[in-house]
Amino acid sequence: MSHHLRGKYAIVGVGQSPLGRVPEFADIGLFAIAAKNAIEDAGLNRADVDGLISHGPDDAYTHHQQVGQALGINATFSTSTDNGGASQVLGVAMACMAIDAGLCNTAVVGYARDAWSRTHRSAEAKAMVAANSETQAAKEFGPEFGMFGQPAHYAIAARRHMHLYGTKKEQLGAIAVAFRKHAQKNPNAFLRDPLTIEQYMKARMIVDPLGLYDCSVYVDAAGAVVVTSAERARDLKQRPAYILGFGFGNRLTGWFADDNMITTGAKEAGETAYRMAGVGPADIDTAQIYDCFTHMVLLQLEDYGFCKKGEGGPFAASGALEFEGDLPTNTSGGQLSEGHVQGMLQICEGVRQIRHEHGADRQVKDTEIALVTGHGGNTVCQSALILGTEAS
Amino acid sequence: MSAYNKPLPKPAVESKPFWDGCKKHRLLLPRCLRCGSYWFPASVTCPKCLSLQWEWAPSREKGKVHSFGVYHRVYQEGFEPEIPYAVALVQLDEGPRLLSNIVGCSPEELRCDMRVEVFFDDVTGDTTLYKFRLVENP
Repeated sequence: MSHHLRGKYAIVGVGQSPLGRVPEFADIGLFAIAAKNAIEDAGLNRADVDGLISHGPDDAYTHHQQVGQALGINATFSTSTDNGGASQVLGVAMACMAIDAGLCNTAVVGYARDAWSRTHRSAEAKAMVAANSETQAAKEFGPEFGMFGQPAHYAIAARRHMHLYGTKKEQLGAIAVAFRKHAQKNPNAFLRDPLTIEQYMKARMIVDPLGLYDCSVYVDAAGAVVVTSAERARDLKQRPAYILGFGFGNRLTGWFADDNMITTGAKEAGETAYRMAGVGPADIDTAQIYDCFTHMVLLQLEDYGFCKKGEGGPFAASGALEFEGDLPTNTSGGQLSEGHVQGMLQICEGVRQIRHEHGADRQVKDTEIALVTGHGGNTVCQSALILGTEAS
Repeated sequence: MSAYNKPLPKPAVESKPFWDGCKKHRLLLPRCLRCGSYWFPASVTCPKCLSLQWEWAPSREKGKVHSFGVYHRVYQEGFEPEIPYAVALVQLDEGPRLLSNIVGCSPEELRCDMRVEVFFDDVTGDTTLYKFRLVENP
C-alpha cells in the first residue's frame, strides 16, 4: 500500500535572490526577493500564501516573523526550523504535513543567509557576529586543543574513511571537479573558472585531508519554493514537481560517537524516503546532494545506496556524477561551486530538472525522479526529498 | 615566559568535576552505577539507561587515535606558531571519545589506531589540559 502523502503535494514555484557578494541586502531582504520570485513563478499572489517555514542564519531569533513581516503575510501556520542544512528539506516536508492537517493551503519554504556580507560588510558587522558566537554557553573539549570551524569535523571523518576503506584524496577531488564542470553551465554560479584535478591536488590545505576545493563557497543568497496540493497544482502556471517521499535521520548521539561519521543518518533518511516514494536508488535519475564538503557527498552516495559502504571513492571517481554518468549530481554546481545556500538552491535545481526546464546542455535527459538531500545542524541531521514528474 | 594565549575551557556546569580532576592529574569519566557504562561529556542522566545514579570514575588513561585532522589554516592566533598541528579524536579504552592533541608526535608520523596514553599539561596556574602521547611499547 502506498503512503497516503505520496504525490499528494507538489512544489509549484521556485525563486532565488541575487547570489554572490550582495552587501546591500541583509538575509531578510534576500529571503523576501526569493519568496516573491517563487510566488510569481507559481503564478500565485501573496494573498494565496497562508503558510511560511523559514530558516535563516544560525543566530537568528523569530526568523519567520521577520520574514512574514517583510512579505506582509498573516499565516495560519508558520515557524522557523533548527536543523541547520537539513532544515530546507524538512521545511518542504513540514509544509506537506501542515497542509494535510488542514493548517494551511499554500506554504512558502525558504532559506536566506548573507554569509559573506555578515562578516565583510563592516568591522562592526564582523564584531557583532564574533560577539554572538562568544555568548554560546559552554566552550570546552575542542577550542583549547585548536579545534575550530566546520572543516575539521569532515576532515576527521574523511581520514577515518581513508583508513578503513583506502579512500583517496583524488577521489574526493573528482567530486569537486565534476561539480565545477556543472557550474560552468550555470550563469548564476559563483565559481565558474575551470578546475582540474591537478589544481585540486595542489590547492592549499585547510584541515588535512581537506583542502580549499573540498570546502563549499560562502555567498550571500536566498532560495524559496511554494508548496501546495497536487490538486491545486494542476491549475497553476508550472509543471508540478510532485513530492513523492521524504525522510530524516538525525544521529543525535553525535558525529564522533559510534560509527555516525562513517554511516550517517542519511541511511535512515533514505530508507524512509524511498519507502514512502516506492522507489529505490536505481530509480533516481538525478541527485542534488548536500555538499558542504566533498567528503559529505561521498558518504551520502554510500548511505543513499548508490554504491556499497566504502566504495564511495571509486564510485565518485568513475564519472558517475557527471551529465554523461549514471547519476548526474549537483547539476547546477552544488554548494562547492554554485554557492552555499544550505541546500535551498539544490531543491530549486531538483524542481527545475523535474520540470525539464533547462536547455539541452544542463538538462538531465528524460528525468522522472530526483533525489534532493539536506545535511547539517552541527553535522548530525540528514534529510531526503524525492520529487517526481508524475503524482502516481 | 610569554602569556598563554590559546583558548581556555569554559566549562558547562556538569563539567566542573572533570576539570577539577585534571588539575589533580586524574582523568575522570562519568560511569553509570546501574548499567556500568561510561560516557563523555557529562550529562545528568546516563545516555544508555537514563539512570540518575552515576559517579566520576578514574579512567585507565589509555586509548587509541580514532582519527585526526591537521590544521593548516589559522583560526586563532595562539595556535599560529604550531601550524601545521593535529587535532586528534582519541578513543579511550573505556569507550568514550575525546578531542585532544598528541604531543611529541609530528602530524606526518600520526596514524589512525596508534596507542596513546594521557598526560596532563598545566597550561596556566588554574587550568590543566588532558593531552595524549604515544605509548612507547604498545
